[in-house]
Amino acid sequence: MNLCGYIPESLNEGYGLRSVVFISGCRHACPGCFNPESWSFRAGEPFTPQRQQEVIRDIMENPLLDGLTLCGGDPFFSAAECSQFVRDFREACPDRTVWAYTGFVYEDLLTDQERQELALLCDVIVDGRFVEQQKDLTLPFRGSRNQRLVDVKASIQAGYTVSLT
Amino acid sequence: MKVLEEHQLYDIGERVIGAQDLDMLRENANLNGESFSGKMSKLGSEYAKWYARLRVLPPELTNAIDHGYVYVHDLDQYALGTTNCIFIPFGRLLRDGFNTGNGSVRTPQTIMSAMALVAIIFQSQQNSQFGGVSANKIDWDLAPYVARSFRKHLRKGLRLFEEEIESSLSDDELHMANPHLQEVCPRSYAFAREETETETRQAAESLIHNLNTMSSRAGGQIPFTSLNYGMCTSAEGRLVTQSLLEATIRGLGSGETPIFPQHIFQCKEGINQAEGDINYDLFLRAVECSSRRMYPNFVNVDATFNLPFYRADDPDTIIATMGCRTRTISDRFGRNRQSGKGNLSFNTINLVRLGIEYGICTGKRLTPDRDRFDARLEEVMRIAVDGLIHRYQIQTSQPAKASDFMMREGVWEGGEQLAPDDKVGGVLKHGTLSIGFIGLAECMKALYGKHHGEDDFVYREAQRIITSMRVYCDRMSEHHNLNITLFATPAEGLSGKFTLLDQRDFGIIPEVNDREYYTNSFHIPVYYTLPAARKISLEAPFHNLCNAGAISYIELDGNARNNPDAFLKIVQYALHQNIGYFSINHPVDRCTECGYEGIIGTSCPQCGTDEEHTHFQRLRRVTGYLTGDYTVRFNAAKQAEVRDRVKHK
Repeated sequence: MNLCGYIPESLNEGYGLRSVVFISGCRHACPGCFNPESWSFRAGEPFTPQRQQEVIRDIMENPLLDGLTLCGGDPFFSAAECSQFVRDFREACPDRTVWAYTGFVYEDLLTDQERQELALLCDVIVDGRFVEQQKDLTLPFRGSRNQRLVDVKASIQAGYTVSLT
Repeated sequence: MKVLEEHQLYDIGERVIGAQDLDMLRENANLNGESFSGKMSKLGSEYAKWYARLRVLPPELTNAIDHGYVYVHDLDQYALGTTNCIFIPFGRLLRDGFNTGNGSVRTPQTIMSAMALVAIIFQSQQNSQFGGVSANKIDWDLAPYVARSFRKHLRKGLRLFEEEIESSLSDDELHMANPHLQEVCPRSYAFAREETETETRQAAESLIHNLNTMSSRAGGQIPFTSLNYGMCTSAEGRLVTQSLLEATIRGLGSGETPIFPQHIFQCKEGINQAEGDINYDLFLRAVECSSRRMYPNFVNVDATFNLPFYRADDPDTIIATMGCRTRTISDRFGRNRQSGKGNLSFNTINLVRLGIEYGICTGKRLTPDRDRFDARLEEVMRIAVDGLIHRYQIQTSQPAKASDFMMREGVWEGGEQLAPDDKVGGVLKHGTLSIGFIGLAECMKALYGKHHGEDDFVYREAQRIITSMRVYCDRMSEHHNLNITLFATPAEGLSGKFTLLDQRDFGIIPEVNDREYYTNSFHIPVYYTLPAARKISLEAPFHNLCNAGAISYIELDGNARNNPDAFLKIVQYALHQNIGYFSINHPVDRCTECGYEGIIGTSCPQCGTDEEHTHFQRLRRVTGYLTGDYTVRFNAAKQAEVRDRVKHK
């Protein structure tokens, strides 16, 4: 798995101040994508266990961060490796939250074992492909109106998909 | 000599009238130097500087200015003896009425007239001085007039709804928080409450409009106004705060961010800092407002250097700042409270030049010569302090009538006891004289090759330098028996001036003077990437040293208004780190086509128009205040600094 970007503090990818890692590789190829360079699985640098530990340590040591956001690419194309990373993160930083961005629709993530595993490790999933016709940059944390902020824990409890209010 | 002087005078006219020197005209981002009135005042200002240098300044000071060691702020006002800034005793002026010089004004009977008078007082005072005018506790000052409005509306309600109250109830008992009224005259009470809220909201809105539209200083400039508030817990005081914040969130006529007044929220644990505190809701509102408008800034009543002055029974002891950062609470003559005094003047020292002279950056030595650096710093500080004292003598020898409103009405406390021809003399001694500094970061680069954000040893050395400056100021306070304080200078016109002089004399030294500006005061450079929390904790100890005031900023990239959680957390973190005065910078762009406000790249996210067709206003902060569009109003050095600001995304 490769890392094609890292923002140690960001306001733009979820509530609070968050650290954002961009996982390389995406096969959705949405027209109008803001970051097509990230589609290749070989983009960026290898996200080695050592580099992963560095990122986790950065977050641990930064008292202002609310948590981690997985961005891409699409982390769900590297679900198994991401799950391991998020599990390590959860263990080191139990009081922080995890957000993830994906082009898949949340319900579809649950039909695939590896993707489901990663999905259930997250607090919030910003789901759905970027649709250029529905582009709206005034929406918080999203690019197009079809995308949702899925509250994972609430969705599991309710048995249906619950969006963050 | 005579020919030379004539030529210099001619030259001043050419530069101003012909607009040949844009940076000179843009020295101050809030003065439209390219307008007729701006040029008119600039002509006077440039001549006054020329005259002061030629006829008034001590030669040693002129020499230090010319060689780039010292900068005398507002040199154009030096020969006149004008003073810098003031906290206005609004409470007293409103209670007793006042005279602007052309007519007298009665005590206002409603919050609407009280807020209108606040604007008039600001404007009248601005013409007596050159720096900022600030209200140090406007919620407390205006609460009585909310109460008057409420009583007026209540009496009207009683007539309208034919309700009655006991005749034994005194005026003081007819207030918004009295539950008895709700029982005996529920309809009148509800009516009065609603009318009062509406009136206060309208009053706040019109105050903010007034403070953005009135001009002073020969028409070229809006008064530099600041409002401090947040700690008054009465229903009336809370309504003042709430209304000011709401009016600011709503914005001006077409929803745009008001440039003035600067708002400063006074943060105090137990009053507005945590769930359950009576004014916590107002603090949250202030955070929301700041995430949209870049202010309120946050001043820390609990900071170890502010709290000892605070007495719960005297709101005049709540720490307040000028919008820029100036802090004047302590007074060796016992007036350890805010209103009725201010800063008198300040001189700023160029730390970078001293760093270059005694550091390793020129290759002349392998280790910095700290002994000679220290000795030279003290020498330069002596010249700067002597300059302040010289200026102070000019200031104190002015007749009261020269600053008529300020003295006659006792805006500067004690001035009201002077006859028009009396010299203002001793009443000014309660003010502060300050030594400022710029470029600690570049100074450390010049001395050691690293700045204080890069290396622990260099950080300790940087602290040592600033500590020695503070110790010197304290010593001089004793020596001269005056309030001499250390200032983290708000450098605007200055930010590029020392740099040019140092480039002239030393050539361009990479990472020392190769940019167009020097980093302000003790700040970690805007171009250096580090986590926000680390920037805060590195800068915090310097706030304690700079008793004339300091501010720290975090730059955020992104639409802060979508994310007040992050905003809140950063503000409270800074307060807990003992930062005295704090604010968050974030881009506020505005599409002039559709009015969208937020972040705009090259095209508007709302209406889609692009930069080629539409002008996007890009609001940024300079020296604590906001300015209009920075691409139009900033000087070259400050524009370069904005481009370099690293965002803590």
